[in-house]
Amino acid sequence: MRTPAKAIIRLLCVSALIVAAAATLNFAVDPLQLFRPARFTPAMYSSDTRMQDAGLIRSQPFDTVFMGTSLAIHFRQRDIDRVLGVHSLKLSMTGSNSHEQSFVVAAALATGARRVIWEVDDWIFCNAPDIGSDVYLPADLYRGNARGIASYLLSGAMARESALILMRSVFPGKPILARPTREALFKFPLSRVDDINSLPPDADVPGSYNAAKARAAFADITDPVRRAYLAEGYNTDAMVGNFERDMVDLIAKHPDVQFDIYLPPYSILQWVAMRDASPATLQIVYDFTAYLARRLAELPNVRLSDFRAVQEVTHDLNNYGDVIHHSPTVDLKVLSWLAAGDYVVDRSTPTASLEKLKAQVETYRVAENP
Amino acid sequence: MLFNSYLFIFLFLPAALAGYFLCGRLGNRAAVIWLALASLVFYSASNWQFVPLLVTSVAFNYLIGWLLIASKLQGRQRFAVLTIGVAGDLLVLGIFKYAGFLAVNLDAIFSAGLKVDILLPVGISFYTFTQIAFLVDAYRGHVAGYALPPYALFVTYFPHLIAGPILHHRDMIPQFEQPAAKRPNPHLILCGLMIFAIGLFKKTCLADGIQPLVSLAFGSGTPTFDQAWIGALAYTFQLYFDFSGYSDMAIGISLMFGIFLPLNFNSPYKARNIIDFWRRWHMTLSQFLRDYLYIPLGGNRRGAVLRYVNLMITMALGGLWHGAAWTFVIWGVLHGLYLCINHAWIRFAPPVAPWFAGAANLLAMMVTFLAVVVAWVFFRANNISSAFHILSRMADPSHTAFGRAEMVQGAFVACYAALAWFAPNTQAIMGYDHKTRTVGEGLGAWPMRPLFLYASAAVLAFGILGIQQYSEFIYFRF
Repeated sequence: MRTPAKAIIRLLCVSALIVAAAATLNFAVDPLQLFRPARFTPAMYSSDTRMQDAGLIRSQPFDTVFMGTSLAIHFRQRDIDRVLGVHSLKLSMTGSNSHEQSFVVAAALATGARRVIWEVDDWIFCNAPDIGSDVYLPADLYRGNARGIASYLLSGAMARESALILMRSVFPGKPILARPTREALFKFPLSRVDDINSLPPDADVPGSYNAAKARAAFADITDPVRRAYLAEGYNTDAMVGNFERDMVDLIAKHPDVQFDIYLPPYSILQWVAMRDASPATLQIVYDFTAYLARRLAELPNVRLSDFRAVQEVTHDLNNYGDVIHHSPTVDLKVLSWLAAGDYVVDRSTPTASLEKLKAQVETYRVAENP
Repeated sequence: MLFNSYLFIFLFLPAALAGYFLCGRLGNRAAVIWLALASLVFYSASNWQFVPLLVTSVAFNYLIGWLLIASKLQGRQRFAVLTIGVAGDLLVLGIFKYAGFLAVNLDAIFSAGLKVDILLPVGISFYTFTQIAFLVDAYRGHVAGYALPPYALFVTYFPHLIAGPILHHRDMIPQFEQPAAKRPNPHLILCGLMIFAIGLFKKTCLADGIQPLVSLAFGSGTPTFDQAWIGALAYTFQLYFDFSGYSDMAIGISLMFGIFLPLNFNSPYKARNIIDFWRRWHMTLSQFLRDYLYIPLGGNRRGAVLRYVNLMITMALGGLWHGAAWTFVIWGVLHGLYLCINHAWIRFAPPVAPWFAGAANLLAMMVTFLAVVVAWVFFRANNISSAFHILSRMADPSHTAFGRAEMVQGAFVACYAALAWFAPNTQAIMGYDHKTRTVGEGLGAWPMRPLFLYASAAVLAFGILGIQQYSEFIYFRF
């Protein structure tokens, strides 16, 4: 280059060329299967569900949506299908709030699904910012608008995944390529939809879910230094507002869709932690879930199940990895209860199960239950 | 509007540049007005509700400055005008930035049920400080009369408006008034583009890349010894690459307009002591605090003890400038303490033997870096008890995970450390010299060599490909 002006043009052209090459690679491989189901390369999936769900909704056949937080993340679709007799798509997102869940469910319902199975935690309604200002959910990818497509095609991280998927398809079975894709470095290591966030068959379930871990978590969250987290974001008015906007409005807009909503079986320690370390928060949760139960009882296309007071599960701490997350064994129990209609909330007495839970929480003594 | 957004890179910046050079054909003043208006558009893209506040602040300070410079006020009258100006600036800053903090503390003491919730205007700390410096210099008689358009541009100039560098009127306004800067200079545009590319890469690829590891220490879980260190170090490097990336982008953008901005970073983690660190980290803030706080307090002119007191006051207020929270005050006090120890060491410690100099320098660099990391824990933590909790985990090797994930994460952090410690910084690569207003000169013809050009193109492309949906700069909140 002889002059700076020509150098500027050359610099911009080379940059544009590199960006265009990355975009072309992303379009051709299409790791999320946003434009078409995988054909030229093997389909690969990510456990980053906020991103992956946008592609799943477009590429997978389903009639039932399964939504929730990390409490509903380990379910296997084949178990859901077998027990409930549906063709499901699991869209659960770890740490998701009500607005994210509602947004993704709405996107899935737009494809024609007729049933939603929805695991609901009280805290998802605490802090649910608008989707536009949500840092974590790529809303434009779901909308499929120009900004979403541009951010997908012009993503260097996605180009890296595309290149890796392409290399795996060109050199199948090469351990040097397969190994890093199974490890933490790459985002699309899974070859089956059913494996997304499911526990692997060789997972150490007793090692991951046992009373010692549950008690350690209890000690941690009730530690005076950290107990403030228990109360973070809890405000009845805000929670009711988010619930009305994100759940009631969505249900009302889809009268032809059956919503099976359930309150999951946390360990009793979750409630006792709030009772001992943050009683005001416990009262807010009681008040809010009473409102939720009464409100959902008014909606004809909702069936609410409350598993929070199922003592044989919630009091057996060996079912838990911490104070809330239950084992795959309990996953299957939840499905069987949903199939059998156990613990369905009676529309005439919507808070009966809550009163039962309150009594359990009041009488439980940690020291007496080693 | 973010520098690391498609809207800025592909629309705003080209339009602002084209308009600037077109207006430059009409005259110097037209280009200055165009750039000031473009800066307001830039600011209003995400802070439209605070544009009137910014405009009012500019008008108020210009008026006060005019009274100090052009009117024939004497002695006490001049001081009264200066007092009104500075107090007005500090009052606005206090209301928007510190009223909530004050209310929380009063409420904690008196249980008065006070609660103040005011949205913080982005960049208010930066444009308030630049204008206070202007008023103080006007009072001291160091300022010639400025016309309103270049003054307004000096305050609102979009490359620095939101997160610095903190500009000085004596440095900037003469540059705005130079007609030569209104004609496109391909050499400056090319160098500016390269510096912008490096900054964008630092932000989108390096700072955003390491950001997920920060939650290992600062998330809601209880970290182990190694996780706490990985998280704290990750934040240490994230903050550096984020803020120095922003400063590089600001310098690069400004260079395209023919304006040289002052340097804000000079490889701070290579510092061998805390005094050296503050000559390398957020350099324009350090200079401001020195010239307009530390020296007016007396500096080192009234003995050793008062020097230490002045250092502590300066750094505590410097901490409070970063944010209305006790964690920032503690961060500032900690650095004040470090500086006092450093000055005392220089005064009382014996000189290092020449044969030990190499090892001593390495040791000094490590101790300085560790001291900085410890202070960053307070800077980042949600509250003081969380900071102590994280530090207690960093001091407790009996709880260590060190699994496969921690090993990978540790290696990741080590790569960042190698970059921060061993890689040349942007100004060294580009030969940027703010004082002599030169860039790329010392390198001879080699910026034009194809390999360097292609490497720059790749850095720009990777920077663009690294743009995420939403990734704000950390210093925006200060």
